[in-house]
Parts: sequence; C-alpha cells; structure tokens
Amino acid sequence: MDYIKKDLGSFNLHMINTKKFKTITIKIVFHTPIIKEEITKRNVLSDILLQSSKKYHSKRDLIIAAEELYAADIANHNQRLGNYILTSFNLQVLMDKYTEEGNVEKAFSFFSEILFNPDVKNNAFKKDKLEIAKHNSLIALNSIKESAVSYSMLKMLEAYDSTSPVSYRMVGYLEDLENITEENLYEAYQKMIDNDYVDMFVVGNFNKREMLSLVKKYFKFKRIKKRKASYYLKEHKPRGKRLFVGEEIDNTQSKLAIACPINNLTDYERNYPLVLANLIFGGGVESKLFKDVREKNSLCYTIRSFVNKLDSLLLISAGIDRENYTKTVNLITRNLNDLKKGKFTDKDIAVAKEFYYTSIEELGEDEYRIIAEFMMEEILGLPPIVERLKKMNTVTKKEIIKVYKKITMDTVFLLEGVKHE
Amino acid sequence: MNKFELIGLDRECFTETLSNGLEVYMIPLTNKKNYFISYATRFGSDILEFSKDNHKYKPPLGIAHFLEHKMFEQEDGVDPFTFFSNSGTDSNASTSFDSTQYICFGTKNFTSNLKYLLEFVNKPYYTDENVNKEKGIIAEEINMYGDIPDFKLEMKLRECLYLKHPRRMDIAGTVEEINKITKEDLYDCYNNFYVPNNMFVLIVGNFSPEVALNIIKEELAKEEEIELPVIKDIKEPDSVKTKEAAITGNIEVPKLAFGLKVPTKDINLSDLELDLYLHMLTIILFGASSEFREKVRQDKLMSSIYTEWESIEQFRIFYLVASTPNPKKLTDEIKKVLVNIPVDEKTFERIKKVWIAGEVKIYDNVDMVVNNSYDDIIKYHKIIPNRIEMIRKMKYKKLQDIITKIDFTNTSIVKMTNNK
Repeated sequence: MDYIKKDLGSFNLHMINTKKFKTITIKIVFHTPIIKEEITKRNVLSDILLQSSKKYHSKRDLIIAAEELYAADIANHNQRLGNYILTSFNLQVLMDKYTEEGNVEKAFSFFSEILFNPDVKNNAFKKDKLEIAKHNSLIALNSIKESAVSYSMLKMLEAYDSTSPVSYRMVGYLEDLENITEENLYEAYQKMIDNDYVDMFVVGNFNKREMLSLVKKYFKFKRIKKRKASYYLKEHKPRGKRLFVGEEIDNTQSKLAIACPINNLTDYERNYPLVLANLIFGGGVESKLFKDVREKNSLCYTIRSFVNKLDSLLLISAGIDRENYTKTVNLITRNLNDLKKGKFTDKDIAVAKEFYYTSIEELGEDEYRIIAEFMMEEILGLPPIVERLKKMNTVTKKEIIKVYKKITMDTVFLLEGVKHE
Repeated sequence: MNKFELIGLDRECFTETLSNGLEVYMIPLTNKKNYFISYATRFGSDILEFSKDNHKYKPPLGIAHFLEHKMFEQEDGVDPFTFFSNSGTDSNASTSFDSTQYICFGTKNFTSNLKYLLEFVNKPYYTDENVNKEKGIIAEEINMYGDIPDFKLEMKLRECLYLKHPRRMDIAGTVEEINKITKEDLYDCYNNFYVPNNMFVLIVGNFSPEVALNIIKEELAKEEEIELPVIKDIKEPDSVKTKEAAITGNIEVPKLAFGLKVPTKDINLSDLELDLYLHMLTIILFGASSEFREKVRQDKLMSSIYTEWESIEQFRIFYLVASTPNPKKLTDEIKKVLVNIPVDEKTFERIKKVWIAGEVKIYDNVDMVVNNSYDDIIKYHKIIPNRIEMIRKMKYKKLQDIITKIDFTNTSIVKMTNNK
C-alpha cells in the first residue's frame, strides 16, 4: 500500500495505491464544525443530491446511469466526529480492465455531475425533490425508538450533557426539518461547496499521474479553505455523584446505557493505553464485562464498552432484564474498580494487544477502513502504522491502570422494558 | 484433492470429500492477509423430529441454537474464545434454519486455529449445571430479537405463509421451550447430526490448501461415518395459510410484510437455474432501478425496503418488508406490479450487467466470498464454478415462461401499526 497526499489548494487529495481490489473507490469528505440546528438540513441536503441532478431528472434515471457504468455504487453518509460534522459522498467502480476502456472516467464524470450540477433553478432546489428528501428524513426521525440500543444511548447522552455535541441527534430534529425550504437548502449547498474543508480519497490500482489529472479535470473547488476548530470536544467534568435516569419502553428487554467521561488524558494515553484499557474492560468476548456479567452471572446476551477518542468518553451498553438492573450496575462498577486497582494480568494485556494487531493487519482488506484510517491518522496527528505498532507493543500495565483511574462512571440510564401486551 | 477454476474471477476452488463423508471446500485468496474458517453441520431449526433404531426424538424447540451456545463449554475448562483470542483471532458461531456453523477469522496462527476449531466442535461437554447456566443468556437473546419490530413482523409473515413447516417458528425457540432443554437432549442431537457425513469445512482467504487439508485429515479422518437419522417429513400445502393479518408493534411508522409462496414442482428447471431467474425477476420488479421504486418514491409511500428469496424443498418464498406511512396503498402498488409484470428485454440485459459486476466485486472481500460459498454449499451441495457464465447466458424468453408458471396471487400480507 502506497500513500501520497497532495495539497491541491482548494482540497487535499489522498491517493492510496493498492493492488488488493478490482475497484476504484473515491470518497469526498466535507468537514465543518457541527451546529445542532444545521444537522437536519445537512441530512436533507446529502439526500437530495442523490435524488436527481440537472442531467438525471429522477432517482431512477440516476440509478440507471450508475448501472450502465457496470454497477457503479454511489452513496452518502453524515457522521459527527468530535466537534465536526462530516458529510461524505462515495463512488465505487470496477477498474477498466474488468469492464471497458474509459468506464472509470465516465464514472468520475457522473460523480462530478451529481456533486457540482444539482437539480436547481433560480437558486432553489426543486419542490417535489425536497418533499421526497424531507419525507425520508421525517420517517427516520419518527423511527428512532425502533432500535432500542441506539435510542437508549441517545437519551442517556442527552442526560449526560445536553449542551455537548456528543448528545446531538444525528438523525436530526423535527422543528429544524419544518424550516427547510428550497432556497435555504440551496444556500446550505453553496456554503458546503465553497466553505467546507474538503478531503478526497482515492483507493485502488491506478497510475498516479493519470489519476491526478482525472481528479483535476472533474473536481474543481473554487476557494481555498482552512480547518476552523479543533476536533477534540471539551472535557466533561464528572458531576461528583452519579446521575441515574430512565424511561419506560413497551419492550420485553431493558437496555442499560452508561457514560464514563475520561479526564486529563494525554495524547499518548488516548491513542495507546486507552485502546487496550477498553479492550480489556468491555471490548469483546475476552473482556471482563463479557466474562463476568454474561458468562459468570448469565445476566445478558450483549454487553460491551467502546471509546470515543475525540470525545474523551467511554460508553457501556447492555441488554438486560429490568429485575437485574441493580445487580448489573454493581457488577460493572466492581469490574471498573478492580481494574483501577490493577486486578488484571499481563495475559489480559497480551490478548488485547493481539486483537489490536489483528485489526491493524486487516485494515488493508477493506477500502473504507483504509480511508477511515488515513483520515483519523491526520485528525489525531498519529504516526504511521509501523510506528504505532511499536508504541503499542511497549504499553505497560502501569500506564493502563493510570488510564483506568481517569475514567469515571457518571450517567447511568435504563430504558426499562415494561411489556403492555 | 480436486481443483477447479472459478470462471471469470481468476480464482480457484479446491475440494475433497473424506472417506467418512466430510466435505472440504477451500478458496485461497492469496492477495489477502486474513483468513476465515467455517466448520458446519447441516443441523438447524428445520429439524424438529427424527428417529433412529426405532427410537423417536422430539427435543424442545430451539435445541440447535442452544447446542451451538453450549459447544463453547469444554471439559478441560479452556474457553474456545480464549484460545482464539491468544492470537488476536475472532471466533463465533451461528445457527440458521438449515445449518449451524462455528467460525474463526484472523490473520495469524492459521494452522493451530484450524486444528483447534475442528477439535473443540468435536468435543461436547454438557452438564446439568452448564446447561442451566445458559438459559438466562439465551432468554435475553430471545427477548432482544422479540423486541425488534422487523423481526416480529417477519415471524408473523412466516406464520401466515407456512402451515406446517418449521420455518413458521423462531430459530432460537421460545423462553418456555428452552427452559425444558436437558443435557440428554443436547447429546441426542449432537450424536446424530454432528457426524462427518453431515458436516463440512469451508476456508477462504490467505492459506495453503495443502496444509489445510492435511490438518483436516489429521483431525477428522479418524471420525466414523454414522448412519443419519430419518427426519420426519413435513407435507407443506401449496397455498399460503393466511392471506392477510394485522399486528401492532412498538413503532411510529407502520410496516408492511409481503410474502409470495411459489411451489416449484411444475417448474422444470434445476434449483440453481430457478434461483437465478427468480432473483432476476424480483430485481426487475422491486430493485433499486425499478419503476415500482420510482413510483413509491414519488408518492412517498415507502422509506425502507428489504427483499429476499428463501428456499425449502419444493418451494421458493419471496419476502418483502417495508416501512410505509400507508400500508394499504403500498399493498395496492405491489399487487399492481404483480398483475401486470413490467419486464422488458432491455432491462433484463442491463440487470445482467449489474449482476455480473456485483459477482466480480464479491471476490475483493473474504467475508463476502464466505457468505456466497456457504450459501452455495447449503443450497446446491457444491460451489458454483461458472455463475457469471450462467448469468450471461440467461434468456429473456425463459424468464417469460417462468412468469406464466407462477401464481402471483398466492401471497400473504401482514400490516404492523402502532400499538397505542
């Protein structure tokens, strides 16, 4: 795998050359600091751009055009990353040698048409297309309770800190949806194209010079932009006393969601000991939580913890019976306290390190994981993979204990299953 | 060892059947760093009753899935998860209607992991204590799925489509039934279905087929072929059991599940060919570029859609599950499509092109090759070497013939609305 970053003035081009795939994958990422009231509009915007364009008048026309390019895949995605919202569009197309000469270039032209030639008239999107995109958003908004796990997380984070971006609902908000018009959506589009910081990633087997000229031909951003703010969220001071909150749901199972802020982390701790600390605590089938809460006490089927480096937060999620709520919370607390006291073995650390190495080794097998890796490398200011593996290898038990001591269980939320049928 | 080319994919497949009946399938992907191993038995929730040596067995529902959980219990106290974790390898297992598989996947220690996977699945260890301990965990798993609206809806549709077939029921059984399971039940099933002539090994990714086959022979050649029990035959009627049903669920946006039951005895095609044509048909009718999808988009009638074909002996069943603000109108639109099937040759040829591109892309990803090959082995007892060729050779005329042999009114529809 061969990586080159080129600053093209108005955007960064990241070229990742690898012979692993039969496809060329491109991802364009627009970064802008997240504003709660703008999330919904951003969702509608990325949806409407894939509904039609000047050349393709309906989504069906657009999909047929993609199919004619030997099933080029096109997709959009919005995510929060620390203080930012990232809107991305990606295209995946088979290399010419599996299709026909010029197919990749045609796909680039198609992708460019969708991004730069939206279906607008008099500085406004079309009314019928906006209605479709708004309808899609409305349905998503109305379906948030269908996934009890994500709903419990969302409600827990709102109780944890409703002012922090960590609690923003990425699905959007009803009141913001109502305020979106054909005109203000077009303004948002122009703002995104003109002002957002842009990264473009290309993964596949290609000639770099040819790729560079293709990119320059089809992707032109006028303005030069700078990153505006730090990606890291402000640290959340634990409230001193745990906050217990909850809500009922008409389900059989209850969902437990817990937030643990991590304070005063150094950059080194964030990228090395913390990763292992999470794997040992609740990162998989070998973790303390899985072994104790599930295997030993039969209290649940799922339990896991995960960390969000940019948010300085560790989250825990479990599906339990409401009767076992106190018992489960006590067990989780005890496990965390034991870890703070150093009650884990060198073997636990060795296993966590092995899982980390495997995940790094497998990175190169998936186009989108490769892209995510290079993007996070840049955002977190990480050294190349080889160096990171070396650093991870020397992490000590002492360093991991130090990280555990910085983790505080702060907000405990129970989405209590009470069956009404 | 047999070797054949996977045509159009620059890949080879290696196969072998040991003298005791165990089947081995191997697809090396040499440019990958990772590997994936599956050791599977053709024993899933479809088997409810069986007999051998004048003895009848009728274990509680959910036994295959329960057994899968308990396979991870070993007499020497070593937890299989722990064994694999030592080399940073992930492991898991899953039970479906027609099979149960034990898997491990990673980048290191291929030989010792393969050896151990075969070893631990061949060493059951059930005690009253460890069987009882699992009941709480599985009950939570059943509860978790039972709370998912789409799952509840699909189960209801299954009850409507099937009169007798076990596919009417949840793979995991019910909390009441699993509580009846004993260690004797588990051994009965294990001894009858976890035998070499009912099992197979599938390996995909970065490994050497010669090395792998040697290990497999070393571990499993000594196992004896055992006469398989007689599985109670189920006579499923041609017609759906219930045409329409309505349920409520914990949802804001209503949902619709639609099922089409196709008896296959009058369609004179091989299983594989039939599956290809049926798949083609529903892509044309309900796929991303279909007229149907554009119409329901314009009318804001649908927000998500999921479709699938299921195969059982003598039948193919089509499932469509969607979220919709108006289940009644969406039902009408689906029915309209089926009354006047909008297929044309140009679309037929375009979908072929899309489909072939998709088949090529599968081979960029170890997991996708595993899923694809596993399906082939279960459905056709082999890995299809020339799927791309077969797709290329599909004839529009043949699709039209098949359409005339299907009764598109043999359907069940379930609507799900808010329970408040």
